[in-house]
Amino acid sequence: MKFRPPYRFMRSAVADREGTARISSRKIYILPTGHGLAYGVLLILLLLGAVNYANNLGFMLTFLLTGLGLVCMVHTWRNLLGLELTAAAMEPVFAGQQACFRITLHNRRAGPRPGIRIDVEGSGPDITDLEGASTGGLSACVPTVHRGECPLPVLRLSTRYPLGLLRAWCYVRLDASCLVYPVPGPRMPSSDIPDYTRSAQGNRGVGADDFVGLRQYRAGDSPRHVSWKALAREQDLQTKMFGGDRAERRWLDLELLSGDLEARLSRLCRGVLDACEQNLEFGLRLKDRVIEPARGQNQRQRCLEALARYR
Amino acid sequence: MSPDPNRKLSQRELLFLIVLLCLSAGPHVLHLQPWISAFFIGTVTLRLLALSRPALLPGRFLLFLLTVAGLANALAHYPLMFGREAGVALLTSMLALKLLEMKRERDIYVVVYLSLFALITQFLYRQEMLLVVYVLFVVTALTAMLMHANMVRSPSRPTGLLLRSGGLLLQALPLMLIMFFLFPRFSSPLWDLGIRENRALTGISDNISPGSVSRLSRSRAVAFRVDFEQDGIPQPARRYWRGPVLWDTDGRSWTAGDPIPEKISEFFASGKPVDYNVTLEPTGGKWLFALDLPHQVPPKTSLEADFQLIRRSPQKHRFQYRASSYLNYNTGPLSEYQRFRGLQQPDNITPRMISLVAQWRRDSVDDSDLVDRALAYFNEQPFYYTLYPAPLGDNPADQFLFDSRQGFCEHYATSFTLLMRIAGIPARVVAGYQGGEVNPIGGHLVVRQSDAHAWSEVWLPDLGWVRIDPTAAVAPERIEQPLDPDRISEEIGAPIDFMPVDIGFVGALMEQFRWSIDALDASWHRWVLGYSKKRQSRLMRLLGLDFLKGSRLVYAMVGITAVAVTLLTLTLIYRGRPKPDPVQAHYQRFCNRLKRMGLQRRSYEGPRDFGQRILHRRPDLRGQVESILRLYIGIRYGRMDNPANRRRLKQMVSGFRP
Repeated sequence: MKFRPPYRFMRSAVADREGTARISSRKIYILPTGHGLAYGVLLILLLLGAVNYANNLGFMLTFLLTGLGLVCMVHTWRNLLGLELTAAAMEPVFAGQQACFRITLHNRRAGPRPGIRIDVEGSGPDITDLEGASTGGLSACVPTVHRGECPLPVLRLSTRYPLGLLRAWCYVRLDASCLVYPVPGPRMPSSDIPDYTRSAQGNRGVGADDFVGLRQYRAGDSPRHVSWKALAREQDLQTKMFGGDRAERRWLDLELLSGDLEARLSRLCRGVLDACEQNLEFGLRLKDRVIEPARGQNQRQRCLEALARYR
Repeated sequence: MSPDPNRKLSQRELLFLIVLLCLSAGPHVLHLQPWISAFFIGTVTLRLLALSRPALLPGRFLLFLLTVAGLANALAHYPLMFGREAGVALLTSMLALKLLEMKRERDIYVVVYLSLFALITQFLYRQEMLLVVYVLFVVTALTAMLMHANMVRSPSRPTGLLLRSGGLLLQALPLMLIMFFLFPRFSSPLWDLGIRENRALTGISDNISPGSVSRLSRSRAVAFRVDFEQDGIPQPARRYWRGPVLWDTDGRSWTAGDPIPEKISEFFASGKPVDYNVTLEPTGGKWLFALDLPHQVPPKTSLEADFQLIRRSPQKHRFQYRASSYLNYNTGPLSEYQRFRGLQQPDNITPRMISLVAQWRRDSVDDSDLVDRALAYFNEQPFYYTLYPAPLGDNPADQFLFDSRQGFCEHYATSFTLLMRIAGIPARVVAGYQGGEVNPIGGHLVVRQSDAHAWSEVWLPDLGWVRIDPTAAVAPERIEQPLDPDRISEEIGAPIDFMPVDIGFVGALMEQFRWSIDALDASWHRWVLGYSKKRQSRLMRLLGLDFLKGSRLVYAMVGITAVAVTLLTLTLIYRGRPKPDPVQAHYQRFCNRLKRMGLQRRSYEGPRDFGQRILHRRPDLRGQVESILRLYIGIRYGRMDNPANRRRLKQMVSGFRP
């Protein structure tokens, strides 16, 4: 089992109002790594040898390496010092997928900061080298279980640069969350969907769906609507006309489904996905909120968001 | 670096690790037993071949067999597995084997640590400055290797990494110096393995036979270095460095014989004594060298009745001592025992020697006159001063005096002493060094093996023991100038040419360079290799820190190191602070002044919007604010960025006091 530090008692760098967390000197922890402890043993052995043979050059090398270890300590600590982090959520995900966050690191120092690593509980690390006075990005991915807002957990920012003898780390709390949609439920045959209604008003005005006929090309018409076939037949340049929305409209209603709430939300989620995929016009009716029917990606996103946030 | 310590090493990394390990342990190949060296070279070669053909790498079983073979090899040549040589042999063999089984990223650490260990063992064998430079380079490269392991993408060229690791080491240097000078030194080792190196040591010995000094004189190796305190360096003709005193002869060679069982007699001296510090290279003998005539004794040393400085134990390491001498002296009366020892004769005195001395005795009024006549004899007769005399038979003194007449100082000194003894004047041979060169850079005197010399001392009634150098009668230049063995032809009987030659500009540069190296070497020995418990306490006294002794030194070392690390930290933070450009800084100052009166610029606000908000709140500031902002915007986003405008902005912001 992995040790989980009691974050409540650990110092951590917290994001300010603008969402930037700056690593200050008192937030950094530092301890030797296993390699560092081995290095210590090596130094003791070297010192014993130098003392025993009263070898001054041996002393010099030993102390040079000791000094190197100390200098290394300062550099490891400094490699995190003053680093600024901001986080941004990536695309919303479905529950069970990984919620990924983009962590942006700002190095305001002229010198580089190599080997900066980010760990998040429950997922693999990500690591990068930052050049001097530059901005770099790392991603932190967290597995999700439930729908809703998934906050970015406490990050552990660490480094072993320059020699890997010591590891400096600090905990960072950033304000970022990722929206998690419900798990899409099993696919439903359309006949099972009870809220299937035809559009009452048939062809009305200019739409984008149904081909109505051709007319003379006018300057400003979209080239997509130009009838190239007609042009190929050496007719004049003509524009295709499309009629209004006569297509089906689908209402997805929470009340009409039965069963466990999460299961119902999952089914609605699937319904939204299917409807969007089939390019239907669809609306969503929840207990306290109604989303008027529309089609397209924006509608899909609006509906999924409502499902994710439903209480 | 990758997050995975089990990542496989790339070909390039493997190659660098092999090279680094060879650089660290390789020099041992030169002095280890040939079989151990062969094992090392063979294994490394196998590893290098395996870079292109991985099939050559031994499997686990074969590797085990190889390890056993390596152990057996080391054990066979150093059966007791005891002491320095055995340890180094074992280390070298095991290092080579480590090369065969390194595969993963964490092996980098094992190889680097082992290499560091191998590097320090180099110092057990050699301690030159050049080796230190070499070791520093290898340490830099090893550090670079560790840095490489802790970066995601290390620079494509190794030089970039080497520069960075060199920078780290440079920062570690002051810490090293603090610890080096403050770490308490012990006078004896923690444990003694009882195995000491037996190196052939060169230098004057207490057994002089024809050819022994001249053989020594062909070497330019340094015998010792001398720092004179205040008084300045004595004239060349007075620089007689007294070593062993030889009383006994069997007709061929001269030896010190039994020590004189007497207390040293009071002697009369005039003038100020000369004080000096001698840094003596290992001689393997017990005697120290001092100017004629020493009167102060370094610790653990006794001054014998014949004015030899004898240490209690043979001197096998470089060591430094302080001595003081009177250049003008009279040793006073002679004890009966010394007279007896000083008149002993070997049994191969020939009649022509006796008749020669008898002739002198008839012509001279007293002993002193006789000595002059003897010197005149060496001067007037066709004697030659040569480094390569013709070989002499079993009665060298007789053959030299009457037949060959070619010789180096030992021939003159020994035969002269013998003649004096025949004449009834107590006499003895003194071996040592004469002269020495002043290093114009270090200001110290360098005495080389080529300055080895032998002279004679006779006892005269009113003067006591008087130094007589018959070589000076033959080749007075020898006393004034050092002998340069490089300029002497190796023919038998070739005369020694003391004429200074014109060495030209390049030669003079070379000469200068040579002296610089010598000066560097001297301080190297004084401050690095020779830094001991004694010198440490002297340094502490010099710094006024006498109270730092034993454990307090450790506390001081830790404390001062901590202070140094803190200073380093502060410097690094100071140097790494974000530096806004000056224009930005002026604008920031402008904003801060407004903030103080409650108008804080919001992070999303550009200068124009901010300006409008200011004017809304404080219309009275219009003139100043507008001109400052116009200038700022002009410099920042327009074409007004020039030093004059920057200065104006600074002035305007300074004058802005809302």
